[in-house]
Amino acid sequence: MADPRITGAIRYSQDVSLPDMWHACILRSPYPHARIVRVDASALPEDVVALTPEDVEALNRYGCQIQDQTVLAIDRARFAGDPVAAVAAPTRRAAEEALALIDVEYEELPAVFDVDEAAAAGSPLVHEKHHISDNDAAYFGIRPIEGTNVCHRFRIRHGDAGAGFAEADVIVEETYHTAGAQHAPMEPHASLARWQGDRLEVWTGTQTPFNLRMDLAGIFGLPQEQIRVVCPPMGGSFGAKTFVRTEAIAACLARKAGRPVKIVLDRNEEWLTLNRHPATVRVTIGARRDGTLVAKRVECWADTGAYADCGPGVAQKMGYAGVGPYRIPNVAVDSHCVYTNLPPNGAFRGYGAMQSVWASERTMDLLADRLGMDPLELRLKNVLVDGDRFCTGEQMHDVHFTECLRAAADAIAWHEGRRGKGLCVLLKGMQTPSRASIVIERDDGNVYTVRCATAEMGQGARYSIRLMASNLLGVDIEQVRFPDPDTDVIPYDTRTTSSRSTYMMGRALEGAVRDLEMDGRRGCGEVANAGGLDPDTGQGIASTHWHQGAAAAALRVDEETGVVHLERIHASVYAGRVVNRAGGELQNEGSMIMGVGTALLEGIIFDNGQTTNANLSDYCIPAAADLPALTHNLIEKEGAEVHGLGETALPPIPAAIGNALFSLGIHVTDLPMNPEQVLEAIDRR
Amino acid sequence: MTGDTPQWLAPASLREALQLRADHGDDATIVAGGTYLGILMNQGFLAPGTLISLHRVPELRFLMTTGELHLGAMVTHRTVERSPLVQKRWPALARAFSVVASPRVRNQATVGGVLADADYASDPPSMLTALGARVVLRSSTAEREVPVEDFITGYYETDLREDELLVEVRVPGNVERAVYRKFRSRSTEDRPCVAVAAAVTAGRLRVVVGAVTDRPQHFPEVCAVADGMPLTADIAAEIGRRYAELIDPISDSRGSSVYRRRVIAVEVRRALEDLADG
Repeated sequence: MADPRITGAIRYSQDVSLPDMWHACILRSPYPHARIVRVDASALPEDVVALTPEDVEALNRYGCQIQDQTVLAIDRARFAGDPVAAVAAPTRRAAEEALALIDVEYEELPAVFDVDEAAAAGSPLVHEKHHISDNDAAYFGIRPIEGTNVCHRFRIRHGDAGAGFAEADVIVEETYHTAGAQHAPMEPHASLARWQGDRLEVWTGTQTPFNLRMDLAGIFGLPQEQIRVVCPPMGGSFGAKTFVRTEAIAACLARKAGRPVKIVLDRNEEWLTLNRHPATVRVTIGARRDGTLVAKRVECWADTGAYADCGPGVAQKMGYAGVGPYRIPNVAVDSHCVYTNLPPNGAFRGYGAMQSVWASERTMDLLADRLGMDPLELRLKNVLVDGDRFCTGEQMHDVHFTECLRAAADAIAWHEGRRGKGLCVLLKGMQTPSRASIVIERDDGNVYTVRCATAEMGQGARYSIRLMASNLLGVDIEQVRFPDPDTDVIPYDTRTTSSRSTYMMGRALEGAVRDLEMDGRRGCGEVANAGGLDPDTGQGIASTHWHQGAAAAALRVDEETGVVHLERIHASVYAGRVVNRAGGELQNEGSMIMGVGTALLEGIIFDNGQTTNANLSDYCIPAAADLPALTHNLIEKEGAEVHGLGETALPPIPAAIGNALFSLGIHVTDLPMNPEQVLEAIDRR
Repeated sequence: MTGDTPQWLAPASLREALQLRADHGDDATIVAGGTYLGILMNQGFLAPGTLISLHRVPELRFLMTTGELHLGAMVTHRTVERSPLVQKRWPALARAFSVVASPRVRNQATVGGVLADADYASDPPSMLTALGARVVLRSSTAEREVPVEDFITGYYETDLREDELLVEVRVPGNVERAVYRKFRSRSTEDRPCVAVAAAVTAGRLRVVVGAVTDRPQHFPEVCAVADGMPLTADIAAEIGRRYAELIDPISDSRGSSVYRRRVIAVEVRRALEDLADG
């Protein structure tokens, strides 16, 4: 059967249409922080519907971890791009024309754009209070610091860091900065809402149908069963299409217009909707003269923008990923999620790991240099092995960092010379706790239908689940159907994030097939992983299942201009038992390519809170011709668990490249490593 | 994408196109390949009421030589890049067109369009300036020739009059050697951060630096140090240094002024080394 993505038969979210539907667009604040004095839509023609703050005042606040959002900015706009009004009309053009007739009076307020300034005392406050969400995405202890812009702080206390540093022979400290990045999926955010009486139906590209349903139910004060979320396949997401994005505005407009309303964002609006957290990370590491690590301190400040979204969770993962897969007896981590008057930041492939792995793994090479050690040997000496305890106290099992590192080093002929070469190793957690459930039905004609919430965003999740089901059932994959997830008929699943679906849903599927064999018509399966971390000590179970990988880079530098010429990048990723080889390999390649963008090209530029490169001409993502030789390997183990592969190869790429530069004496601390910055580092050498 | 749908006029002959240009003047926007105009319109920077497309005008699609190279305004970048004639006799020109953006853009973008847009961050204008090329500007009543270096007058500004169309580019055939170096600070598909074109015509060196200020920069008095001299490494470095001193580059997302100044010195020197080698 020809792939519907190739024949064009696929219906993405933005292709869904309903009879009599109208099209909407959004009016956004031009100011990064302003009091909204007045929104006047009286000049609008009668054949359009406008949504203004007074229409949404009575609705409840929402937010997947902190309830800091309203459907439109009601009293204050908190970033340049914050929605303040919206219009629905029979055509998109009519909606745009009407939008221009809305008159908004603003009164500018002091704003803060820098995460370090925002975290400091006396900074303008983006939010006065922090209301912790009842959404199940707020699954851990959220610790806002009232009266500040810090909406969450997470700590790890393992051993005694002070005492550890006191016994260190060598201590290295460095501070790193990473820029914001845009997911840039080919398909922008698109949603369509319709009311049937008191029941709301939403078709939207989302990785999080149940979290979305919870927040929509909360906004409108409805039981969750009164909300139906249908998830057509997405033309890419990478974390961008999570929680509530355009759906609440579409729903409000649909209710007011008394007809279905669809919103498809323009490309530039993607930069105003969700980006990756810019971060400041400071790493201090202490070792004995023989390279044994004795203490590490990691301090992170994740800039979550004007709304928290899942930033607290990102800050937490940034915190423990920054410790790295090492045996260190004394660890202190303080990670902060901080509001600024910039567009909101949230989930992005790698989920906080990239920022702190960049800082942590660059510092490992600084330490190796100070110790006069081979950076590979330093890592191998300290890396976690089976049975070791991580800084969270949890015991590690099925550990393969050594193999990942050796494979990556071999790929760039590390032992033949280290100049222009760099390595990086990482661990990345999977959503813990979480739950996955799945139903499989058999009809009279021996066709099986999978009902589950796993979202297809181009990663091939539906194919992998169909493939696993067909193998378990002993039938051809064409006999297994996987319709668009629809919360009216699918069982609960935490969400399609953190590379968990093939592993978690795959195990739930095994139970469902066993159940089907008993029942004949219908089988259900469910798995859950339990755990979580104490937010004040960081002790507990960070992840029941670790993503493990390493990367290597080989490059040369034009030392007169600072241009980096990548010769090869390689990723070695632990895969356990492979389900869909081609799919897994493509995930690795896609992750590595995004990693190259993060390392060398991508950074959102702000000028006094205004996004200045919100288009794909001024914001460069990697083109095919930018890519070096790109190789990778899946480290497999017969009979092992299946391992998610969606993200692991992204976070280590920037540090591998940064360390390859450092092997030439070029020490860069900030991402992206553009030629100008590299040249400045050459000047400092 | 706001406002009314623009009126779309697609004349089928040059005569008709010139008449429409005379009738509408600058109230209508000329469409050639549309690669740049499309971005401006999509981003809402431009909302023309009337568009005059030249895509059906057959007289603007020629590529021929009479000793000089004649390029019709609607010849695409890809056509110039792949023309055996241009590759053989004006290889640096073929190269300058071949490094623009991506094949998808080059299949669409035109010789006339890139000059009339006068975007500072473009490849062909610097090369055409170094080669001493001229544009032919025609109205329904008159025709004139203007050197490319005089045609581009500032950021997105040209000498094109309200009743004229850019119909042709003429490139002299007596070029002895030429090189084009595109320096990119970001993606390979990006516009140049610094563009350097150098050519020797009738024994005279012309070095042109583009993408760093409002229009291609050319300093004959600096190039004159190479007159009658072999192009040594010292002379190459000296010309690079002088260009870097004389140009006051802009800062944009491709690089700061300070950075560009350093790159100008390096890339001009390298261009001259390439020229000496080649």
